Amino acid sequence: MADRVYDLIQLEELSGGDQDFINMMVDTFLEHTPGQLEELIKAQASNDMVTFGAISHKIKPNIDMFGIKKIIQDIRDLEQLGKAGQNNSELQTKLANVEAELIIAFEQLRQR
Amino acid sequence: MSLMKIFLVEDNELYAKATKHHLSLNPDNQVEHFVTGKSCLEKLYLQPDCILLDYSLPDLSGIDVLKKVKSSQPDLPVVIVSGQEDVATAIDLLKEGAYDYIVKDENSKERIWKTINNLRENAKLRNELDRLREEVNLKYDFSSIKGSSVPIKRVFKLIEKAIRTNITVSISGETGTGKELVAKAIHYNSKNKKAPLVTVNIAAIPKELLESELFGYEKGAFTGAISRRIGKFEEANGGTLFLDEIGEMDLSLQAKLLRILQERVVTRIGSNKEIKVDTRIIVATHRNLKEEVAKGNFREDLYYRLLGLPIELPPLRQRESDIILLAKYFLKLFLEENEMEEMRISEQVQTKLRSYSWPGNVRELKAVIELAAVLADDGIIEEKDLNFNTVGDELDNLVSEGLTLKDYNTKLINYYLKNHNNNVVEVAKLLDIGKSTLYRMLKNKELTVN
Repeated sequence: MADRVYDLIQLEELSGGDQDFINMMVDTFLEHTPGQLEELIKAQASNDMVTFGAISHKIKPNIDMFGIKKIIQDIRDLEQLGKAGQNNSELQTKLANVEAELIIAFEQLRQR
Repeated sequence: MSLMKIFLVEDNELYAKATKHHLSLNPDNQVEHFVTGKSCLEKLYLQPDCILLDYSLPDLSGIDVLKKVKSSQPDLPVVIVSGQEDVATAIDLLKEGAYDYIVKDENSKERIWKTINNLRENAKLRNELDRLREEVNLKYDFSSIKGSSVPIKRVFKLIEKAIRTNITVSISGETGTGKELVAKAIHYNSKNKKAPLVTVNIAAIPKELLESELFGYEKGAFTGAISRRIGKFEEANGGTLFLDEIGEMDLSLQAKLLRILQERVVTRIGSNKEIKVDTRIIVATHRNLKEEVAKGNFREDLYYRLLGLPIELPPLRQRESDIILLAKYFLKLFLEENEMEEMRISEQVQTKLRSYSWPGNVRELKAVIELAAVLADDGIIEEKDLNFNTVGDELDNLVSEGLTLKDYNTKLINYYLKNHNNNVVEVAKLLDIGKSTLYRMLKNKELTVN
């Protein structure tokens, strides 16, 4: 298996050693984030940049909290580009990065 | 510690759960989570202690929720938690009355923690302040002056008149009639009640110090004036200055006081700057100021200036119908304060209380009742529990009862009988009267033998 793309250090700190809490947080992450990713891709395809910006904004803290380091900056850039209404190649590349990394994270977290 | 009800408005499930978990580490934090702004606004009637509000919500924007909260509950602190790192938005929100603005990043949980603790501390202080305010208001509510007799009702009417205006009030009355209570009732019911009531007891301050106490002084005004000090007149600015025992004021100071009352400005000692003061004056004295003017002890011009609305407090012996009412009131207060069982006052004691002359007035009544409550057995105050410790002339007190000579005779003989085991022979001998006289009086039931 590839290296872990996520890091639970923040959650562990927050949990104070409460494993149930971490499990619950992981479940919640897996419950909501895949749907949000789908919405994000849909918004880009239909060129709805307002929704795109808003959803990026929502996904941002999840990526932070689960320490998915590689795309921490990308999701911020996506939010800004979305708000500026720039559905360009830069946005599309970054979206592809975020999508690929998140899918790996989902898989790894499910098998944790 | 106090329970803190926190409303968390956050549409990001993950972030909400993390925040809730973190805040719940303190069991006094009670967190309720809402996903939308609307659902939070609908539950405002539950009276949260604070709201943690996400700026971007699915239904309303953070600023809309903030405005709605502030319009219905202006004192409810709202902390904005936002992923928006935009200074302009933050400033707008703070201007609209947000308590704090916290950016969602790795430090946000510590900041939220700190903010909630600050709020808890604030809430505690605010509750304390509200409680104390309430207490003061209750204490000096009108109802603290008790009575339904004609003379006290006249006083109530005058107090009501004093409350409506800013007129100077002069209160006179024997010691213990409640002059200070009247001053407080006037101040705390007037429109200036939020400003201070400053009390100066003229008799309690050495006359050399009184001037600096009243008017204040500048640094270096005299030996020992090492710093500037504000006088009582300035301290009471906007409120009420209560000068108790005004009759004891020195003539030279009376002249200065008169000037201040006329010009409405004070000058601190050692300064030539005049400071405007807007203070209501209430004075009180147990002396008859008119007589003092005649004797040359009190300036006539000051007398008229201070007279304002005169309120004369009746002595307790002129309010006979209030005595039992007051006695029961003081007894109830004392029992409550000391968490004691209920107690009643026997008929004989009530009669005695009514016939006593009360030279110390209401203050004395209160002391007598409190002592009686301590001494009493079996939940009833009996004659043995009553102790009148009169300072004044015993004969004065006896005569002030205003009985006929025959009644005084009876009273005297009864007193002797009681103190000599109802031994008629002994009492007759002591009083140098015939035994037969006593027997006749007993037969006619003029005397009481227990």
